[in-house]
Amino acid sequence: MAKQYGFWIEIDRCVECYACEVACKAEHNVDLGIKWRRVTNVWSGSFPNVTFKTISLSCMHCEKPACEAVCPTGAIKKQPGTGIVTVDQTKCIGCHYCFFACPFGVPQYGKDGTMQKCNMCAERLAKGQEPKCVSTCPGNALHFGTMEELSKLAQEKVAKKLAASTNPSVIISK
Amino acid sequence: MSEETGLINRKFSRRTFLKATGALGAAVALTGAKDTLLQQSVAKAAVAAPAEEKLIPTFCAMCGPSAGCGILAKVVNGKFVGIEPMPECPLNNGKNCPKAHAAPQWVYSPERLKYPMKRVGKKGEGKFQRITWDEAIKLIADKLLELKAKYGPESLGTVSPARRSYSEYIYRFLMTHGSPNYGHSGICAVQRMFVLSYTVGGVPSADWANADLILLWGKQPIYSGSAKGGVASFLAAKERGAKVIAIKPTMESDVAKSDMWVPLRPGTDAALGLAMINVIINEKLYDAKFVEEWCYGFDQLKQHIQQYPPEWAEPITGVPAEQIKTVARMYATTPKAAIDVSNGPEHARAANDAIRCIGILMAITGHLDKKGCNVWGAGSTMPSPRGVHLFERYTQEWVDKLLGYELPPQFQPFIEGTSCSLYRLWNSVLGGEKYPVRAIIAPGSQSVASTRGTKRILEALEKLEFFVIVDVTRTSDMPWADVVVPVCTMYETDHPFEVSGNWIMARNKVIEPLGDYKSDYEFWLDLGTACGYGADWWNGDIKAHMDWRLEPLGMTYEELRTKYPRGRTYEPKPPEYEQYAKRFAAKSTRIDKGPYLPQGKVALYNTLFEAAGFTPMPVWRELPEGPTATPELLEKYPLLLSDYHTSRTYNAAWLRHVPYLREIEPYPYLQIHPDTAKSLGIKDGDWVKVESPHGWIKMKAQYYPGIRPDVVFALHGWWQGCQELGFEDFPLGDGGANTNNMYTTDPQKMYDPIITAMTSQTLVRVTKL
Repeated sequence: MAKQYGFWIEIDRCVECYACEVACKAEHNVDLGIKWRRVTNVWSGSFPNVTFKTISLSCMHCEKPACEAVCPTGAIKKQPGTGIVTVDQTKCIGCHYCFFACPFGVPQYGKDGTMQKCNMCAERLAKGQEPKCVSTCPGNALHFGTMEELSKLAQEKVAKKLAASTNPSVIISK
Repeated sequence: MSEETGLINRKFSRRTFLKATGALGAAVALTGAKDTLLQQSVAKAAVAAPAEEKLIPTFCAMCGPSAGCGILAKVVNGKFVGIEPMPECPLNNGKNCPKAHAAPQWVYSPERLKYPMKRVGKKGEGKFQRITWDEAIKLIADKLLELKAKYGPESLGTVSPARRSYSEYIYRFLMTHGSPNYGHSGICAVQRMFVLSYTVGGVPSADWANADLILLWGKQPIYSGSAKGGVASFLAAKERGAKVIAIKPTMESDVAKSDMWVPLRPGTDAALGLAMINVIINEKLYDAKFVEEWCYGFDQLKQHIQQYPPEWAEPITGVPAEQIKTVARMYATTPKAAIDVSNGPEHARAANDAIRCIGILMAITGHLDKKGCNVWGAGSTMPSPRGVHLFERYTQEWVDKLLGYELPPQFQPFIEGTSCSLYRLWNSVLGGEKYPVRAIIAPGSQSVASTRGTKRILEALEKLEFFVIVDVTRTSDMPWADVVVPVCTMYETDHPFEVSGNWIMARNKVIEPLGDYKSDYEFWLDLGTACGYGADWWNGDIKAHMDWRLEPLGMTYEELRTKYPRGRTYEPKPPEYEQYAKRFAAKSTRIDKGPYLPQGKVALYNTLFEAAGFTPMPVWRELPEGPTATPELLEKYPLLLSDYHTSRTYNAAWLRHVPYLREIEPYPYLQIHPDTAKSLGIKDGDWVKVESPHGWIKMKAQYYPGIRPDVVFALHGWWQGCQELGFEDFPLGDGGANTNNMYTTDPQKMYDPIITAMTSQTLVRVTKL
């Protein structure tokens, strides 16, 4: 089965430092006003019982990309073997169909009018380097790998947390 | 490291990835057109000249030169384009913050100073003429020597922003010139180090690795260098199951991740500390044995503290008495508990009292020098490189010459040398101190945007006889400069070395200097030599100087660079605990070298402070203006304003011009609780007028759920525009966005009496513009 590469973000490790956002922009020389990765806070409660969580998101590299499905020129492609969703800017006509189709508001349009977004640092991956956002994350909140590996890691983390030192006598499953 | 943290630091495998893509040529196949275009352009370039890419191990310089995070600077065809991780540096372990990644925009910014200049217009007009580096050095040397002959050497002062690796060079220059007037900001670090040294004999740090409970008191581990280990140790402690109680007025990410939030009003840390001591003593939660053996003045403290019960502190701090009791009990009864105190409590009239309370809390609960508590640390087996400071030349006469003090004269010099508060230096120009300075050198310092009393400093700038700015980019004070000396960024020089714990590495030059300038360090060597003090300044030879500094390590600077390209690591010393006799006998830095603690015990009752005319025990001193300080002002000014010292993306008043950083925080925001804002008819994002009894500024309202409804907060240091994003400069005084313009300049109210920490609290009225 073909592999799907992706990201895993541990929300309880994300400290809203913005290192991923700027590292991404610097790596890809992204135009001002455009962000391939975005850090967002989600607040809940009210003072003094208030809190927030921070999440850092880029393109979701979906299994069934809505953007690819509506792209009239075939500029957007889900790459076989890696699952990375890429955009060929020489084919993009800037019609914004992908913008309306994407449920996450990922597609953005630069100075040249064509769509741009996270490419999972494919050129770094080919050199054996992690995506820039992942490698710089001071909280080690961002991880990269195959979805198989990442979901295993995420499960291990939950299991580890549950086990704790008290070893609770409770099984939690789907 | 990867073993310890298990799944967290799992390495990505190139082989696995390439296998997944099906071929080694996969890179071409899987990337999009942006990459195809890139490859085409690279291919074109390859025909003409192959792209030369280099990775140079060095240090990030975005927080100023000192204790920089390690980086690999990426240079393509001679241009600095980005950074890659350098895991060998123990300070940041290959991680970097947003500032580090924006470095190329800072280096190639249109705001860079390109060549030395002298003023040709009127002061404040900002008209300059290009001169050479040598002309600038000569011009400054001649003028300083002229003023020295006319008014004495103490007519020169320097203003210093913070501890930098070039701070020692400023001290050395002042010593060789003959002036003690080093102006220190009076708002950071030295304040708490001084008070803790004279209370518990040192500056014991919170043992994050082993504590079960940490009181995060006025500290921001994320904003103050997120890659420097603060974030990692915070998250590791939380994952171990340690509890964190955050004591600070607003909720940021660290508070959101803490177990309890104590949202006190800004500037009221001393009231909280006094009430916590009250609870611990009256509920007999203190460590009686430790108090008996190692604390001086417990009976006096017990009596003194009776006036400060939690119910007294509640209306001042805004923290419910019950919560104060809970925090005090938790801290006192958890064996492995630590307090991590930082800059927050330092900006208040009762700053020394707040920090004394914190030292006393650590002591009476027996939380000093034990694993998991506040510890002195292990030290290093690395021989110390030679210091540049001429500490051995200090005399009482020298201390007496200071024009105004940062720390009381009886206690000078402190660890950084003799100092007067930066504001007092400017105030002297207007006749407000013992005598005036006639010349000021500002190396990496912009007083108008960074220090309280904006209007007074602007007035002093007009009157100052000779003003020199030494900097990388344009500063807020530059229009008033007589000579502007540009210096290189730390990416354009190969010195000095940096030390982090047990590790030392030589700095490497990333690119050649972009203009007619040298480094900060070379500036002082050149100026010292030009003034005739060459014997003390290696006659301007930077290479000989760096070799001299490294002599104790038994190697030259070139040997450090070539033999240890990614740094040299020395063995750490094993930690030692409960070394009380040694800790409490620590010798001070005063002229008499007497101990910090004359009784050899923790100073609950401080006889040295008492002899110097200060209160022997911590007391409460109200804010200049505040809800309980000046209730009569509340009708006109109902909200309490304070400001953040630093941010994730800027350093104090710097870096607003760097586009990738400015995008994250484009406007000067006023954080305001949504309920408060709505009651004033203010919408999220509205521009508002913020007025205090001392000045007014314009800010953009930001609905912020994590703030007390009676408090508003802003980031300090706003003045600079960003050309690439079309943002213009803000005015420096009224009508701008500089919070320093908002606070009192009444000498009786603007300082803490001992450590001259400057207050950053006032009452304000906020209206929609």
